[in-house]
Amino acid sequence: MKFLRVRLLSFILDLCLWAYLLYGGFTLHYLNTRWRPWRPEEKFVAPELSPLGWALVVLGILEVVLFTRAFGPSLGQRIFGVRLVGEGGGKPSFSQRWLYFFASHLALFLLWFDPERPFYERVSRLRLAPLPEPGTEGPGPRWYFTTHGLSAFLFLGLTLALGWRLTEIDLRSFVGKASKSLRIWRGLINPDFRYLFVPDPRIKLSFIDGLVQSLYMALLATIAGTAVAFPLSFLGARNIAARGPIGWLVYSLTRGFFNVFRAVESTYWAAIFAIWVGFGPFAGSMALFIHTIAALGKLFSEQVEHIDPGPVEAVTATGANLLQVVRYAVVPQVIPQFLAFTIYRWDINLRMATVVALVGGGGIGRLIFEYKDDLQWQLVGGVIILFMITVWIMDYVSGWVRERIV
Amino acid sequence: MPHLVVENLTKVYERGKIRALFNVSFSVEKGEFLVLIGLSGSGKSTLLRCINRLVEPTSGRIFLNGVELTKLSPRAMRKVRRKIGMVFQQFNLVKRATVLQNVLAGRLGYNSTLSTLLGRFPKEDLRRAQECLERVGLLDKMYVRADQLSGGQQQRVGIARALMQEPELLLADEPVSALDPATSHSVMQYIEQINKDGVTVIASLHFLSLARRYGQRIIALKAGEIVFDGLPEAIDDRKFKEIYGEEAEEVEVR
Amino acid sequence: MRTFFAEAALLESLREIPARVGWALRIKILPALLDLTFLAYVWAATNATYSYFRFGFLSFSLLPWWWMVIVVVAVGAMWSAWDQTLGMKVVNRELSGETDFASRFLYAVLWPFFPLALLTAPFDPKARTPGELLAELTLTEVRLITYRPWYRTLTGWLALIAILSTLGAAVGVTKVEPGRLVTGFEKTIKFWRAIFSPRWDLLGLGLKLLGETVFMAIMATAFAVPIAVLLSFLAARNLMRGPLGRLIYVILRMIGSFTRSVDAVIWAIIFAVWVGTGSFAGVLALFVHSIVDLMKLYAEQIEAIDPGPVEAITATGANHLQVLRYAVIPQIINPFLSFTLYRWDINVRMATVVGMVGGGGIGFRLIQYLRSWAFPEATVLTILIILMVWALDWLSARLRAKLA
Repeated sequence: MKFLRVRLLSFILDLCLWAYLLYGGFTLHYLNTRWRPWRPEEKFVAPELSPLGWALVVLGILEVVLFTRAFGPSLGQRIFGVRLVGEGGGKPSFSQRWLYFFASHLALFLLWFDPERPFYERVSRLRLAPLPEPGTEGPGPRWYFTTHGLSAFLFLGLTLALGWRLTEIDLRSFVGKASKSLRIWRGLINPDFRYLFVPDPRIKLSFIDGLVQSLYMALLATIAGTAVAFPLSFLGARNIAARGPIGWLVYSLTRGFFNVFRAVESTYWAAIFAIWVGFGPFAGSMALFIHTIAALGKLFSEQVEHIDPGPVEAVTATGANLLQVVRYAVVPQVIPQFLAFTIYRWDINLRMATVVALVGGGGIGRLIFEYKDDLQWQLVGGVIILFMITVWIMDYVSGWVRERIV
Repeated sequence: MPHLVVENLTKVYERGKIRALFNVSFSVEKGEFLVLIGLSGSGKSTLLRCINRLVEPTSGRIFLNGVELTKLSPRAMRKVRRKIGMVFQQFNLVKRATVLQNVLAGRLGYNSTLSTLLGRFPKEDLRRAQECLERVGLLDKMYVRADQLSGGQQQRVGIARALMQEPELLLADEPVSALDPATSHSVMQYIEQINKDGVTVIASLHFLSLARRYGQRIIALKAGEIVFDGLPEAIDDRKFKEIYGEEAEEVEVR
Repeated sequence: MRTFFAEAALLESLREIPARVGWALRIKILPALLDLTFLAYVWAATNATYSYFRFGFLSFSLLPWWWMVIVVVAVGAMWSAWDQTLGMKVVNRELSGETDFASRFLYAVLWPFFPLALLTAPFDPKARTPGELLAELTLTEVRLITYRPWYRTLTGWLALIAILSTLGAAVGVTKVEPGRLVTGFEKTIKFWRAIFSPRWDLLGLGLKLLGETVFMAIMATAFAVPIAVLLSFLAARNLMRGPLGRLIYVILRMIGSFTRSVDAVIWAIIFAVWVGTGSFAGVLALFVHSIVDLMKLYAEQIEAIDPGPVEAITATGANHLQVLRYAVIPQIINPFLSFTLYRWDINVRMATVVGMVGGGGIGFRLIQYLRSWAFPEATVLTILIILMVWALDWLSARLRAKLA
């Protein structure tokens, strides 16, 4: 069964590779000829082909895949660490490979009779063998002459070329518009701290107010998030919670919650809470709070799963119940790591607090984006410098504290 | 009535279908010092863990003071575990906690969940903890973190933790195999002292010389089955080869 | 002869002065300043909490500033005289000597003059403060830890006050009103339906944007790697010997730590103005951040290599580049690949955030939808992001397990 899996998966991988190469090639061509800037809204867009044409394209891909699999390890075969060898383990001859190529066209119909040794391998008297240990055979051909090397090269080349067009890398504008960026740099070099303590009459917020707001948003979200994540993390740890069917259910639900909510951007929550509780720092800290629960919960429960099981056994042997075991054998082992994660999370939350301001989260981010939209670069420079200094200090202090407690 | 009776105990681990114990039966009198010997993997640890049901036996029955342990509910079993102390090969202390906290953990089963969750223990227990630490000679290390102690000291903390339970039965799972010979004897002497105070001891040991020196009776396990049950003197060269295999040679631990 | 020795001893003690002053600064002055900062913070936070809950406005100093100075210094003095303060804990010191009430009191009275330790430091190797000198108490290293429950110590109570007042101030500053979660709920009923009715016809667009985001990360990583590799050899301490090498090392490390402390979001804002909003700006922001981050990771890996092979290859008469090729590179190739993968993983996640502030890709579109409260559209993009994060987690964990 193992070889069947390898054959199937490596085949799918090859298929994906060549389909990607073809599709990517089309896209690249279109980006180069039709639409100069990349507009995701536009309908793609493969070339208009008749059904027959499409059938031919699909057939072509299949042929290429089969061909690369017959002649030298294809990329899929190479990744799964197998290659074709002759009956005695020697190198396959040219005619054997052709036979293999033609016979494998029938693979779909005849594979199932003997998964261990499919029909086309028997006909061509070849078999799939694991790659030799490095060094046991003499030097093979240079990698760029092998089938898999060539495919990998094509893959990389196409990806980079496509990425170049898709992300609209434009060195000319980078150099040409450098003068445009000068005003930011000028703003950063002589920043304007006019509103450092005095509130800006328009936004009604001084720099320091914004900074304190951001710091406390991050702090509140971290503390409240930790308070919720801490008990949940034990429910999400396999070695504690997953006992019996109910335990498994609780464990899976908790883990599922962590995984979903961790992946949702906090700005999404911020937008929801901005409507729910109104614009301002409260909405921002609620958004960060929800995200913190899931992110910390996952880190915490992984930590709980990695504890030394010895003390758990010992405390259980004294006749303690589950809660007591958690309190006396698990918690003391994980507290330092939990603290380190929490401090680390505070750092992250402070950075995210600025982004959350985009959808009405409040804090120092609001100042940055408001001044940016008004093109007041000196004020932007002032806020950014203040924020950078704070982040820098926080980074330094939290790194130092984490080093001490772990 | 014997203190502990084990009847036809069998344990098969689900994963890999490994048969750890097969049809093991024996009984232990009150106040006896029983030593289990055998190669590693012969089932000694599993047998000990089956007695306090840290490992659930597949079949067979275990009686302690006439109560069938294998039938008890988890809650009732926790009540029984309070009277069964256990000492481990790797000490199984919470490394970051202080010695005192580790020792107090031995009283968890006797105190209410709520007060222990808040970290509160009765004055009586604190006094008892000091007594137990004094008994193993570690009173001055009470507030030291467990990972600052040497191996022998850690094992003595483990013994103090078991003593806190005021056990009737002490299970010792290779208590000295992580220690050097000199420390081994000092730790074994503490266990022997506990035995002299009337506690039944079942200890698994790796070295036959230690078993001969401390055991009143020896049970040898091989591949999960009892191959010898009797007095230490009865193990001669032939028996020894049977238990440990042809290649083995007896090593003296001084 | 005797005068010569006396002079030598004098010179010796003169030479020790900077070290002594430094020691006094580290052990006596900075911990005390830390305590004062802590107490000042507690003062501000309690004031904010009190004013917010009592009067409904925020003020970090209700009383004139000199009140704060007096209270903070007085509490600081008592704290250091009767307990192990935060600062003392950091440097692991405690008061020892005859600790009766009178001497503690004298110590507390004299404590505010602690900066004078800098003056005594040149003459006194222990740099005793006036309090230590006159009350005959000394700050010594903690030998035996005595255990007291937290509620029996001043430090414990101060910590409790600090935590409570921090929470109180935080509630005030961030305008927390849990009541609004309830009263505002009716406003949300409309959009809960919107959230749970995603516009699936946007799926194609979303996938394209997702692809663009992944490509942003690929491009940023692909361009950052060669540069970071080159720089990492110059930023590895064990390869950069000699004065010039050391200079390059120090400069590179300084630039690196400075650039890294500027958040990717800030870089994205800067580049969005420079080259215009769009994925190019995002690529540049990730690119700059990746270079310095990878440079640090790579350089640390180079510093951790086994020096044995380097010695052996050098002994065969190989030159610098040959040593690099045959002794260093074989040792670092796998960790480098692993770090690159890790960085790519981070870049994909960051690409969405960077996109939000003008870096293009799926993040930019998402934030546009969110700002106009177009939840059905935003939900589709969010679901795609969730799937991408999962796929990345799975893929990078597998690949890195293979590389390790």
